Amino acid sequence: MIPIKSKPSTMIDSARSDLPGDISFPLEIRLHGRGGQGGVTCAKLIAAIYAQTGLNVQTFGDYGAERSGAPVRAFTRVDREPIKNRNKVYRPNHLLVLDAALLGPQVLDGVAAGAVILLNSAERAEKYAEQFAAYRFGVIDATGIARVHGIGTSAVVIINTTLVGAYAKLLGLPFEVLGEAYTKMGLADDLAAAKEAYQKVSIQRPASALSGAVVGGELPTSLPPIRPLTEHSEDIATSLKTGNWSTQLPGYEDFVAPCNYACPAGNDVVGFIQALKISGADAAAQLLLRTQALPSVCGRVCPAPCMRECNRHLMDGAVNIRSLERWISDHAETRLLAQKTDKVHSLAVVGGGPAGLSAAYQLALQGHKVTIFEKNTKLGGVLRYGIPIYRLPDEVLERDLERILALGILSQCDHPVDKTELERLHREYDAVIISKGFSDAMTLAAAGETLDGIEQGLDFLARSREGELKLSGDLVVIGGGNTAIDCARSALRSGASSVKLVYRRSRAEMPAIAEEIEDAIREGVQLLSLRQPVAFRGVGCVAGIVLAEVELGEADVDGRRRPLVTERTTEINCSRVLLALGQENELGLLPEAWQMRESRAWSAAEALNIWFAGDCSTADGTVAHAIGNGRLTALAALASLDGTDNGTFPLRPGSLVAPAQVRFSYFPILAPHQDRHKVLENYRNSFEEVNLGLSSQEEAERCFSCGRCTQCDTCLVYCPEGVISRSDSGYRIDEEYCKGCGICVAECPRRAIDLNDKGLSDVS
Amino acid sequence: MIKEPALNGMAYTEQDRRDPLLRPGNSNCGGCGMSNLMQMLRRATGERELKMVVPACCAAVTSGSFPESVFGIPTIMSTFASAASVATGVAAVAQLNAERTRVICLAGDGGTYDIGMGTLSAAAERNEDILYLCYDNEIYGNTGGQRSSATPAGAATTSTPRGKQEIKKDIIGIMAAHRIPYAASISLAHSDDTLRKLQFALDARGFRFLHVLSPCPTGWKSEPAMGIELVRLAVRSGLFPVFEVFDGERYVINVEPEFSNEALMMYLSLQRRFRNTGVTEEILRPSIERYWNYLRLMSGRIVPAKRN
Amino acid sequence: MSVELISANHAAALSAILAARANRTARGFCAGVYPITPSTECMEYLCSQEIEKGNVIRADSEHNAMGICIGASAAGARSFTTTCSNGLAYMVENCVAAAGYRLPIVMSVANRTLGPPWNIWADHGDSLLLRDLGWLQLYSADNQEVFDTVLCAFKLAEDPRVLMPALCCMDGFILSHTMSQVDVPSQEQVDRFLPPVDIPQRLDKTAHTLGQMEAPHASVMHRIQHHQAMLGAEQLYAEIQDSFAEIFGRRPADPLVTYRAEDAETLIVSMGTLGVTAERVVDQLREQGQAVGAVRVRMFRPMPDTGLSKIFAGKQRIAVLDRDVSIGFGGVLWGEVRGFADPATIVQNYMVGVAGGDVRPEHMLNLLVDLQQRRESGAPQIVEVA
Repeated sequence: MIPIKSKPSTMIDSARSDLPGDISFPLEIRLHGRGGQGGVTCAKLIAAIYAQTGLNVQTFGDYGAERSGAPVRAFTRVDREPIKNRNKVYRPNHLLVLDAALLGPQVLDGVAAGAVILLNSAERAEKYAEQFAAYRFGVIDATGIARVHGIGTSAVVIINTTLVGAYAKLLGLPFEVLGEAYTKMGLADDLAAAKEAYQKVSIQRPASALSGAVVGGELPTSLPPIRPLTEHSEDIATSLKTGNWSTQLPGYEDFVAPCNYACPAGNDVVGFIQALKISGADAAAQLLLRTQALPSVCGRVCPAPCMRECNRHLMDGAVNIRSLERWISDHAETRLLAQKTDKVHSLAVVGGGPAGLSAAYQLALQGHKVTIFEKNTKLGGVLRYGIPIYRLPDEVLERDLERILALGILSQCDHPVDKTELERLHREYDAVIISKGFSDAMTLAAAGETLDGIEQGLDFLARSREGELKLSGDLVVIGGGNTAIDCARSALRSGASSVKLVYRRSRAEMPAIAEEIEDAIREGVQLLSLRQPVAFRGVGCVAGIVLAEVELGEADVDGRRRPLVTERTTEINCSRVLLALGQENELGLLPEAWQMRESRAWSAAEALNIWFAGDCSTADGTVAHAIGNGRLTALAALASLDGTDNGTFPLRPGSLVAPAQVRFSYFPILAPHQDRHKVLENYRNSFEEVNLGLSSQEEAERCFSCGRCTQCDTCLVYCPEGVISRSDSGYRIDEEYCKGCGICVAECPRRAIDLNDKGLSDVS
Repeated sequence: MIKEPALNGMAYTEQDRRDPLLRPGNSNCGGCGMSNLMQMLRRATGERELKMVVPACCAAVTSGSFPESVFGIPTIMSTFASAASVATGVAAVAQLNAERTRVICLAGDGGTYDIGMGTLSAAAERNEDILYLCYDNEIYGNTGGQRSSATPAGAATTSTPRGKQEIKKDIIGIMAAHRIPYAASISLAHSDDTLRKLQFALDARGFRFLHVLSPCPTGWKSEPAMGIELVRLAVRSGLFPVFEVFDGERYVINVEPEFSNEALMMYLSLQRRFRNTGVTEEILRPSIERYWNYLRLMSGRIVPAKRN
Repeated sequence: MSVELISANHAAALSAILAARANRTARGFCAGVYPITPSTECMEYLCSQEIEKGNVIRADSEHNAMGICIGASAAGARSFTTTCSNGLAYMVENCVAAAGYRLPIVMSVANRTLGPPWNIWADHGDSLLLRDLGWLQLYSADNQEVFDTVLCAFKLAEDPRVLMPALCCMDGFILSHTMSQVDVPSQEQVDRFLPPVDIPQRLDKTAHTLGQMEAPHASVMHRIQHHQAMLGAEQLYAEIQDSFAEIFGRRPADPLVTYRAEDAETLIVSMGTLGVTAERVVDQLREQGQAVGAVRVRMFRPMPDTGLSKIFAGKQRIAVLDRDVSIGFGGVLWGEVRGFADPATIVQNYMVGVAGGDVRPEHMLNLLVDLQQRRESGAPQIVEVA
């Protein structure tokens, strides 16, 4: 029951003051909508608004048996006289179309020129200008507005209250007339949406003051034959095209897994894990080796930001991606062959560390001639001189290097490049990529830092790698990164009687790989966190360190809490200190007239074919970053030489698979497969590799395959309409019948499918 | 370890039925649980021959207008209370003619729990050779959403606008008490279990009864996309026990719930029918526990009933 | 052919069983049955017999008895049931459905008063509930007629030009429980008379749906088709009579059984056993020189309108005797047939034997006295009969 302000009477001209003058009576209004949009309520609302003015109204729906989404009609009739007409409306003065896809001869039947049409459509009004030239018409994206206001469900948006706002504006009624009717019908919450529609509706008036003969609305001249029930035994196909019931349509597409997005090397993590799962290590390697020059290395030493971002991290622990990469590199026999190219370039790479190796590898893969210039006697850079052997055994490094060089890359070791040499390379090669890494280790600037027994951790690691080092006494490492951990564990192995690690923030904030920290502690390294060395004590040789206690303050720009050094100090004894505080960049390589800009060398305004890759350009500080940047720099250099696009695509907003888009309930809880460790009684004097990696590739089964269809058939099995079928590339949706319920999307375990608004529809 | 593809990839292969049982072009609402059931039944049916009886319910309306065949099998729309009796006649004639055809009833909760209860009971007592599928959306959906005896306590319907007070009828208990060969509940969210039960029930002889919790976005006032997830939550929370009863005696629990309040809370909050009726997890928990204690007793399966 | 001393209930059941067996070469016979006085005996007899390729299912209610018949018939079998009174009232919904599917189910009704207050005796009010539902309706006046009518009803209902359910009515107790001789044909004869039934719309292999939703236009067309098939059934009945006579050597009763009506000035119109009593009254009055005749409406649906118009033509007075009351109106039969009489004819309605009163000739003679005194038709009268 709709409460109305006043009883209708036959003579109430005064009450009509807020109605526009061009409404004539009886006024007949017809609505065409779909089940669930609220068409009947819409007609009731309109009736209530007219009833408020004291006019007689009548409103009713055209009830059928069909459901949510099926075409429905509703009618409202308004008159000054009591209404005796009990028929449906065949010749409407006002026509409201709640879904533009309904527009067709049946909807427009009986609508005379000069009538008023209101259309719910996301299209611009101009699109309908020709079709509706004879009408005063308004177009409003009521679905869009109602969806934003959360009216109805996302699949079935209730637009009635929104549309009436536009109707009021189309008729020139003041917005205020809606308030009372909405409130009395318990729809006051929707007034904001109505207001938005009132403001946004686009109104077009007929080209000239048209009034024409009514077309249509007559009795049908013939009706179709109906087969007797006693002859009904045939299978007759359905004719209801339910596809046009929906406002949304699911579509398959690849979304970006957070691991892929996080991988500094640019590896297709989901891709190689799924390949490993389905086809084994060789197939995985085929994919991995496209981006990854050093899988054996990264599979051991990468800090694995992919694992930090892994969506499974929130359920039962991240997938052990690093070790899966290691598994592939340790088990695959395959390698990629260099492509043939018509236009072979000759390039020089300065520096044989990870960035240089990656750049050279990518260039060689594409069929170009590459020469690496390395200042040390062997290739590898930080891999050979900065990572202890128990983490990265020589033979592992050699395996990756051998694979890279097998592509035909030349290397000139013991060949430092200075300014003069760089100018020569610039002349003689098509392009030069400089990847000389960090140059200087950072210091603490604390009193007594020059005492004997205090040295840079990296120097220590290089010496340690070169030959056996014998240590004794108490050793302190300062720092919290991987180098610090490497130093501590190497020192332990070299005979130090005790090793302490001093770090200024808390353990959780240490940039080192968490498992490495764990290993270090298990092996006997003592961790002193929230301590800042403020002075070194000793005569000639270091004998102790003064440590100030640290408190954590506000979060810094990088999200970590700022360490605040207090006045409270303690002192520890030691005979040796290793500084692992990070490195700085000092190029010092370019001739005077050249500058580095945007990772490239410039001579004044001229861009030179000299590129910078890895830490010397980005200072990211991890092997994976160096590999990724080396690859991208190589591709950019090639693109520049060939004058083409470098083929990188920026991440589309919303294309990253968020945890909420993974259906955790699909996946049984399964703890990560941990790396196996060789447990030694005493780590001293042993530089054997202690992490033995995974015992099988089963961990690959844990990968959610975020954003990437695994053809798991879940969508196929759960589609209530049975309109999803297999296709060559995956699955196909029969748009003619899909009702857009979205179960396929909700049930997809991994967001390989998404629901898209149909939005703009065709006018036929 | 998850098994992929689902149902071992049998959907739309030669093991699946060529023609769907519920064809595209039906007028069910998007996201209808009964539609899901019909897709699963298609898979279970394979090459078996079926005849179907549908009493007044949403499936009677979805059949579309004469003379189109929305159902891919010969079907008769019976009066509301008559599904099991009409099926009795169809099955008896099939038996007289030694036909391989299997006769199924596809009925809603109104036609099963309420108006058709006597008919159902009689057919079960006579042990007619019928597979009776009750798709239970816990509401009279066709008429706009009134309470039935399958409506759970705490759900608002158009005839219980402040929420139904009484608890849902124990339909499997009732059917098991007839000592029929097979009675089971089906979770649409557990497709392997669903397929197995449907296949078993299609092949078994005598009266078989399957109870399917059937999400109804229109009646439950929920997102159509969330239908299967709602069933999953009902199972996880213990609200909808998934079990089977052989010969009215042997109870087997098929899915062990986690009984989490989180799942129950999600189940309630995703449906507007539970909003403003005052129903909470705490109110529902005791009756869930009571029923599970009974199930444990009947199944002889002693495992912890509660885990938070 | 043999002569059996049996009740009319028994005769109906026996006829149905012969019909059932006659379909053994096709899809067989299946009935759903449920007891109710005075139809129980018919149901019991069905349950006592072995029927080759037949199954009599003991239902839990009349509603479901008809449900079972619907299922059986929809599956292509021959089907039959029996009930009356409140049982029929309880069954009505499925009777609507049976007609709606156009299934040739035959039902025997031992007419009984509807209650409460409970009353088990004869009244046509129960079967007349089905008046508008698309069922053929035949009323019998003796045991042989009951037997023959059931066989003819199968033949008529199952004719491809008819295909709709049929009701065979007998007065409760007056016929249902009265024993009398009945000529029972052999199975071989029945096989010849009643070929296997073919229900074209039955649930077979093709995917199609019986009883699905229809738009108004389809429903109107189906009503028109049903109506026309029903109207045509009267003519077909004559063919059936011929075939019956040829095989069984006796002719079943006409749709309208007239008795000394041709030259009568006054007619007594009735249904069921009242019609036989009327014939006795006619004889008595003829002896007194009164030109009285009787018409028994055996076929109530379709209504033999042309036949009645012909018979009524030129008559001075017509007494329409109803064993029913349409409360607030009068007799149902009267309401239906009065329009067929000439405008000048005095048509007077007497509701007599309502709720099981034993209508004796004296009752009717009294009514005739009343009729002869009338100068014009009066309001329908309910006559008290104990």
